[in-house]
Amino acid sequence: MNRKKGDKGFESPRPYKLTHQVVCINNINFQRKSVVGYVELTIFPTVANLNRIKLNSKQCRIYRVRINDLEAAFIYNDPTLEVCHHDSKQRNLNYFSNAYAAAVSAVDPDAGNGELCIKVPSELWKHVDELKVLKVHINFSLDQPKGGLHFVVPNMEGSMAERGAHVFSCGYQNSTRFWFPCVDSYSELCTWKLEYTVDAAMVAVSNGDLVETVYTHDMRKKTFHYMLTIPTAASNISLAIGPFEILVDPYMHEVTHFCLPQLLPLLKHTTSYLHEVFEFYEEILTCRYPYSCFKTVFIDEAYVEVAAYASMSIFSTNLLHSAMIIDETPLTRRCLAQALAQQFFGCFISRMSWSDEWVLKGISGYIYGLWMKKTFGVNEYRHWIKQELDQIVAYELKTGGVLLHPIFGGGKEKDNPASHLHFSIKHPHTLSWEYYTMFQCKAHLVMRLIENRISMEFMLQVFNKLLSLASTASSQKFQSHMWSQMLVSTSGFLKSISNVSGKDIQPLIKQWVDQSGVVKFYGSFAFNRKRNVLELEIKQDYTSPGTQKYVGPLKVTVQELDGSFNHTLQIEENSLKHDIPCHSKSRRNKKKKIPLMNGEEVDMDLSAMDADSPLLWIRIDPDMSVLRKVEFEQSDFMWQYQLRYERDVVAQEEAILALEKFPTPASRLALTDILEQEQCFYRVRMLACFCLAKIANSMVSTWTGPPAMKSLFTRMFCCKTCPNIVKTNNFMNFQSYFLQKTMPVAMALLRDVHNLCPKEVLMFILDLIKYNDNRKNKFSDNYYRAELIDALANSVTPAVSVNNEVRTLDNLNPDVRLILEEITRFLNMEKLLPSYRHTITVSCLKAIRVLQKNGHVPSDPALFKSYAEYGHFIDVRIAALEAVVDYTKVDRSYEELQWLLTMVQNDPVPYIRHKILDMLTKNPPFTKNMESPLCNEALVDQLWKLMNSGTSHDWRLRCGAVDLYFTLFGLSRPSCLPLPELGLVLNLKEKKAVLNPTIIPESVANNQEPVNSTNNHGQSVGFQNTFSNSQEEEEIDMDTVHDSQAFIYHHLNMLERPSTPGMSKFIASSTRMAPVPQRIIYLDISPTKKYEWQVELRGHGSGKEQSLGEVNMHPVSAAPLSVFSKESNSSKHSDHHHHHHHEHKKKKKKHKHKHKHKHKHDNKEKEKDPFAFSNSPASARSIRSPSLSD
Amino acid sequence: GNKHASTPADNYYLARRRTLQVVVSSLLTEAGFESAEKAAVETLTEMLQSYISEIGRSAKSYCEHTARTQPTLSDIMVTLVEMGFNVETLPAYAKRSQRMVITAPPVTNQPVTPKALTAGQNKPHPSHIPGHFPEFPDPHTYIKTPTYREPVSDYQVLREKAASQRRDVERALTRFMAKTGETQSLFKDDVSTFPLIAARPFTVPYLTALLPSELEMQQMEETDSSEQDDQTDTENLPLHMSTDDSGPEKENASVLQQNTSLSGSRNGEENVIDNPYLRPVKKPKIRRKK
Repeated sequence: MNRKKGDKGFESPRPYKLTHQVVCINNINFQRKSVVGYVELTIFPTVANLNRIKLNSKQCRIYRVRINDLEAAFIYNDPTLEVCHHDSKQRNLNYFSNAYAAAVSAVDPDAGNGELCIKVPSELWKHVDELKVLKVHINFSLDQPKGGLHFVVPNMEGSMAERGAHVFSCGYQNSTRFWFPCVDSYSELCTWKLEYTVDAAMVAVSNGDLVETVYTHDMRKKTFHYMLTIPTAASNISLAIGPFEILVDPYMHEVTHFCLPQLLPLLKHTTSYLHEVFEFYEEILTCRYPYSCFKTVFIDEAYVEVAAYASMSIFSTNLLHSAMIIDETPLTRRCLAQALAQQFFGCFISRMSWSDEWVLKGISGYIYGLWMKKTFGVNEYRHWIKQELDQIVAYELKTGGVLLHPIFGGGKEKDNPASHLHFSIKHPHTLSWEYYTMFQCKAHLVMRLIENRISMEFMLQVFNKLLSLASTASSQKFQSHMWSQMLVSTSGFLKSISNVSGKDIQPLIKQWVDQSGVVKFYGSFAFNRKRNVLELEIKQDYTSPGTQKYVGPLKVTVQELDGSFNHTLQIEENSLKHDIPCHSKSRRNKKKKIPLMNGEEVDMDLSAMDADSPLLWIRIDPDMSVLRKVEFEQSDFMWQYQLRYERDVVAQEEAILALEKFPTPASRLALTDILEQEQCFYRVRMLACFCLAKIANSMVSTWTGPPAMKSLFTRMFCCKTCPNIVKTNNFMNFQSYFLQKTMPVAMALLRDVHNLCPKEVLMFILDLIKYNDNRKNKFSDNYYRAELIDALANSVTPAVSVNNEVRTLDNLNPDVRLILEEITRFLNMEKLLPSYRHTITVSCLKAIRVLQKNGHVPSDPALFKSYAEYGHFIDVRIAALEAVVDYTKVDRSYEELQWLLTMVQNDPVPYIRHKILDMLTKNPPFTKNMESPLCNEALVDQLWKLMNSGTSHDWRLRCGAVDLYFTLFGLSRPSCLPLPELGLVLNLKEKKAVLNPTIIPESVANNQEPVNSTNNHGQSVGFQNTFSNSQEEEEIDMDTVHDSQAFIYHHLNMLERPSTPGMSKFIASSTRMAPVPQRIIYLDISPTKKYEWQVELRGHGSGKEQSLGEVNMHPVSAAPLSVFSKESNSSKHSDHHHHHHHEHKKKKKKHKHKHKHKHKHDNKEKEKDPFAFSNSPASARSIRSPSLSD
Repeated sequence: GNKHASTPADNYYLARRRTLQVVVSSLLTEAGFESAEKAAVETLTEMLQSYISEIGRSAKSYCEHTARTQPTLSDIMVTLVEMGFNVETLPAYAKRSQRMVITAPPVTNQPVTPKALTAGQNKPHPSHIPGHFPEFPDPHTYIKTPTYREPVSDYQVLREKAASQRRDVERALTRFMAKTGETQSLFKDDVSTFPLIAARPFTVPYLTALLPSELEMQQMEETDSSEQDDQTDTENLPLHMSTDDSGPEKENASVLQQNTSLSGSRNGEENVIDNPYLRPVKKPKIRRKK
């Protein structure tokens, strides 16, 4: 979607407009984890010859489709199930990524595509020509879904409600198609009627207003009827069913909170704050919350901590906490605020296309930032902005850039805007999760830049304008064609900005939105005494990956003796040096106070500074109004002044980081002073702790006095009469609480001349643990105790080992014995008195791994593996898995790697599956340039299979597998593989590959059949649900599919029994796992598919592997393949035999008239003419390769 | 027959009893019986023993009645008279010719009655109290014991004690748990030095992880329950006032809500909060489609 289109308003990629959809789930079986229901879509054709309706659907088994009560034939084809199927020997990531992007495109609703293609019955053609309404009714079921809907069924006695069994929808971006057929796009809005029939003890929470709840006739179940009258995209539809406890918000009765049984007290406390967030957003946006109600549901085994949907949000139950918990409170509130911000921008206002996503994420992130500023203060806000900025900068420099607004037009060769990445950014579903996180981070930072440019007032006016337009549109009837006002586009947003502010922000957009990369500044200066001028030199690195050249204004703040002065420099192509005149005479008046930026005047000890210069410190871009990294050189005393006297927390943090390089007594003093200053922001003080530890270690030979921070800690937190005993805990003052937690952790990093942790420090920490007394405290001390264990772990240094002796108890270091003693006790006490979120177990596990890694305790993953099992609390599992991942790397254990990968495939919790891949990627057992015994062909095959077909139920997981594959093997063919067979003849000049004709028969014989059979066993579990009747040819004779009602009933009955292949033709196709039908699809209609793909591939100018697609275009190869497979297939299912032949003949007949359309299409790019494909019945067939019709 | 008698006290009583049995048997012989059933002998022995015991008991009472500790002949006499025995006949009976002489029971020591636990030295009688008066009881029964040490009020020691006590309890408890259940170990060669209670998965892991333990709940109540109540009170009231800007409905609602909280929705009163999730579930309508 490029901007010009946006100007004209939204153009739907579909030849019809959806106005209303009914979703009815009439049966949910928790035991079997299955769902039965139907959907009914009300659509208005927008073109006269609409004969095919493409919808999205994954995993669903579809029984029957009717349009206006007439049976309709349909095809199910999902190329993303198995991305690359024909060349089992291909192991090259470049190739995979292209194929995957093409597969996602092929079903992308934003391009008008879908997995499910329904043929409009010919009886209705006339009806359609009059553009009259169509009602598409689809009966479907879901059996043990692996994605989209997640069932949590605890394994214990009792009814499902007593067990706390629940189910909820989840997924990354538009994933609604995983649980019901729909147009799974953020841009196709419609009104909704949602019905769920559930056990009487359960509650179904969904979008919109609960109209009524009605018992079924047997009174054992009840039906929840929801109406959502605000036009909403299917992707924003959600569901949560469980025996929830219900809490009506005491402040806002239209808000209802739900949690799992027994957690109601926690829910009350956790949500008691939510109304303030509501008030805040409504006030700044001067707009009422758009929906008539809001629901929060807290569920177990969440996919993400926060998921926002229309008028409801699904949260992880682990965000709930009691009033005793300090650390979790701000985190949970942040999550609530984030979810609510997305209600306005993301749910109510949706986006036109994927390339407009940044606007939504940007605005919701930006207003969330405003809430942060108001709630936690400016310091926290600036700290957060700095943190986000550092993150995005680090990520972009590492990977080569994050592009907010990718434009995909033209179809030219060099059109891939992210060639530096190992995945396509054309679709949300191909993105690495980390990239997406960073994308969101950059989006809100850029919004802040826009705010800097046009002022916050205008910014809020723009948001208000977007919301009021959408609000007006949402109350309109569909016929007024106003609904597209509820979709935001980049161009619309920018237009709104220029209308409201009258300012041109095009350069800013061009720099940060249309282009990836960040700026890297190197600054240094000299003071010219004669001219009283500061000569500032600012260089840029714009050649490294992930960088860009910055041209424009740059603010520099100079603190002089006479005050603080802002200068705006113009950064231009060739000017490196900037002369900044100084205001102060270098001669200083000893008695005079120094004015600071904020107007405050302070006394300073100026003895440290250079007598000739009036400069105290210099800051480049203090407001963070460029996405940049600054490396600035100034002398140590300047950093020290900056730390002590600059009031901006970001400046203080920068100074602390810079001081690490200046281990001097003066730095030590500055840091200690900051540590002691209670007015100073606690995060700065925490950071100072770690810096002080580093400085102390660098100064170890000259250090005088007790270990760093010890006396300070004693003074602040220990008893006056007995300084070795810590006071009984009182965490009423949160700032000192955080400091009290952090100081021991930092102190444990101290090392003496032998590079060991000083005995004194260790004893000190052990005493803290010993004398810790929380009896009089209002708050829980679990996080504090956990950090004390972290401190113990930090104190561990590598064991001195003689001749690699085996670690036993006898040669255990006495200090380590003490540490182990504590860890053992803590870990055991957790079994009796578990701490909140098991923070202590988590720290203990980490500490044990540290002891193992340092050679004090035998390295052994068994303990961690037991804690990693399903049934432990998620934080514990992740800590344990992290240890196993680390073990896998350090000990190069193939067994553990296999264990982890098995878990990736089988663990019931999607987040764990994702997290394991994530951790393996971040701490890989080996990387592409490394020799490792783990790197072998079997592993390559395994991972390939994982990303190719094993993870098709979860976009995030698949992208995680791709990331891991990239980290381990890189983009090209893994080096551990044998040389590929010379099956391809590469024509480098034309970037084409042609299958060597001599080996065709062999490849058919060897490749196709064995793969079929292995898939049969290996993947049958994963894809059983997938309905794929694609072996039906495109022209389905309706009678062959739905011969009678009896058949339908028979099929419905099938649900109750385990499915058996080969019952009838129809059943065979639906119950067999997908890969087989998939393969048949490919073989049957491969020319069609490949042609489409190839257009895509060409359009994005990828590497040479893509041209494999053309192999199939080869007239000689395609035809025999097709025939062969058909025969092999039909011999397997001999009862279908005649059917295939029948079809085959039919097809051949048709090709004759298809042929003539072909040339027209050859010339046109598919993307330029998206309607041509689906508009005319003829053109849909015309893309068939001519070779077949010969 | 008590085969298992083994303690000196048992032996002592057994010997006496046996003598009594011999006495009964000889009296029976004297009376002309040739044989007797064991049960009969036992019964007679029992009767004799009761009789003699009663004489002893009564005699002691008479003696104590006259403020003496040792019974005299006259005490015995009175006793026998009281029991309806003709004392006059006794000398003649004692001198009868056919009487049999029985050997004295074997000398066994009187069993030592275990002494009551003595605490401290009993005080000797002061000079003005005659020596036959009973001894003073154990000192702890009447003496006010002075505390030898000041109660530990030193902060440092207290903390030290509390800390080590808690640590000991924790260690003992966890060791016990580890001994009685499954364990894991960090060292393959040694499972007892650092025993770890084996990790056991939960069916519902989030409950233990999120809910405060009973101990914590108790603590929270103890520390400042009053303070907490105050807090919730204040939270409820003034903040309602601050919501007026968000429209009249809301204001009404919050007023209503206060009412309900006052009247208490438990009474089955009509609930005024209009939230769709609180509405009653409807009965199914009987309707026919198509």
